[in-house]
Amino acid sequence: MTGPVPALAGWEFRAAVRSRWVLGTAVAFAALAMTVTLLGLRSIRGLGLTGAGPTSNSLVNLGVLLPSLMGLLLGAGHLASAREQGLLSMIGAQPISRRAIVLGSFAGLTGSLWATIAVGFGAAALVISGVASSWEVVPLLALVVATLGLSAACVAIGVALSAFANGRTQALALSIVVWIIFAFGIDLALAAVAPVVRLGPGVLLTAILLNPIEAARVLALLAAAPDGTALGPFGSYLIGTFGREGAAAILVGALAVWTVAGLWLAQIALRRKDL
Amino acid sequence: MADGAPILEVEGLSKSFGSWSLDDVAFVLSPGRVASLTGANGSGKSTVLRCIAGLTRFEGTVRVCGVPVDDGVDARRHLAYIPQTVALPATATIGEVLELFARLRGADLDDLPIPDGFLRPWSTRIGTLSGGHRQRVALAAAFVGSPRVLLLDEPVANLDEEGRTFFWDLLSGLRDEGVTALVAAPAFSSGAPAAVADHSIELSDGKVVSSGPLLRVVDEPVSSGDEEETAT
Repeated sequence: MTGPVPALAGWEFRAAVRSRWVLGTAVAFAALAMTVTLLGLRSIRGLGLTGAGPTSNSLVNLGVLLPSLMGLLLGAGHLASAREQGLLSMIGAQPISRRAIVLGSFAGLTGSLWATIAVGFGAAALVISGVASSWEVVPLLALVVATLGLSAACVAIGVALSAFANGRTQALALSIVVWIIFAFGIDLALAAVAPVVRLGPGVLLTAILLNPIEAARVLALLAAAPDGTALGPFGSYLIGTFGREGAAAILVGALAVWTVAGLWLAQIALRRKDL
Repeated sequence: MADGAPILEVEGLSKSFGSWSLDDVAFVLSPGRVASLTGANGSGKSTVLRCIAGLTRFEGTVRVCGVPVDDGVDARRHLAYIPQTVALPATATIGEVLELFARLRGADLDDLPIPDGFLRPWSTRIGTLSGGHRQRVALAAAFVGSPRVLLLDEPVANLDEEGRTFFWDLLSGLRDEGVTALVAAPAFSSGAPAAVADHSIELSDGKVVSSGPLLRVVDEPVSSGDEEETAT
């Protein structure tokens, strides 16, 4: 492939996979995924059950929390670092658009993160494959898809933070704050408000769509339990109102909107700020 | 662009950073000129180069080959920029760096005008190179795609004597082929040598304090019809 976007994507991908940071997170993610899987299988055996379905569910939190943090940090550290190193000004002086810089960076970083996720879930799949029946693989595949979508959205948000920030340290700090808000802050805020204000399912759905981590988590749980039981009454509302496919499409759409919005904001920032 | 037309036109270039400002900078360079852009630290040399490269928003007009730089990609087809310091990724090889810039410019590395010995073997990783050799890689990247205007911010600061000789010879050859270069340096003595530079622009506190052609030192007698003038 020719053109600046594939050129930059390949460059960023190579740089990322060669870095100790990405290699380290790949090993850590694989080790955690295998540990969670083995512990889950052991618990199931302890209850006298067979199969691997619940084990996939236990991977959901790992699959949404760790890759989202990795994506935000990877994206946030990127443009700000390149700006500080002078490399962004060399690349920015080339006859390519700011959009190409954003898209190439995003594609390369997302590709490297997807490789990391594939290593992690691949390790878990190896453990599960010995005991799982074929239909039990579906929730794991759904979780992988949700995690890939979430990680892409988080890289895009991270790249936007990186483009707006005044330095690498500020970009990384912002990305951690954003992750804490997405991972815990919104849930805590809803829990604090719930006793005072009656929150209907529409408000909950809005809160989920405004939070990519929660959208990916609900998407994975929806695939794990097609009747929505894993999500409680809210699951019944979701499937009753939109249908299973409709609900999944809305959640996938939310992740896509987050991704596009992040890239658009990054592009705006690169046009307005000095490189 | 018509023959003899300016290749780089800077008019009313102004830029503010808090209380400091670049104020109404203006100069014109013809094809085949090497200009020394000199001035003390903080005089605005790097900012001028960054504005011309389209990396910094500014007031005024900058045209490269007749194309305003704020029009985006078109003007940047004709120029290359090397910042004062650049940290290339340690894990990349020399070949990968040059390949990246070739792909970004849609150019062919076979045309790279780099003399033998200027770079280490292209399979060498950047992380194993000395500071001077990393600078050589960055400079080589600037020549990819045969840009007509080179914006070089203290290009030889990290180079040893051999590297400087290589570089000035290279720049001299490119100048003779019609390439124009704007070379920033703190003082004329540390910038492009008299044998290479034929124009000087001196900045002080964001303003141009002198600008004009230089007397070029040549080996053979200069005929009365030659254009060279005394330094201003």
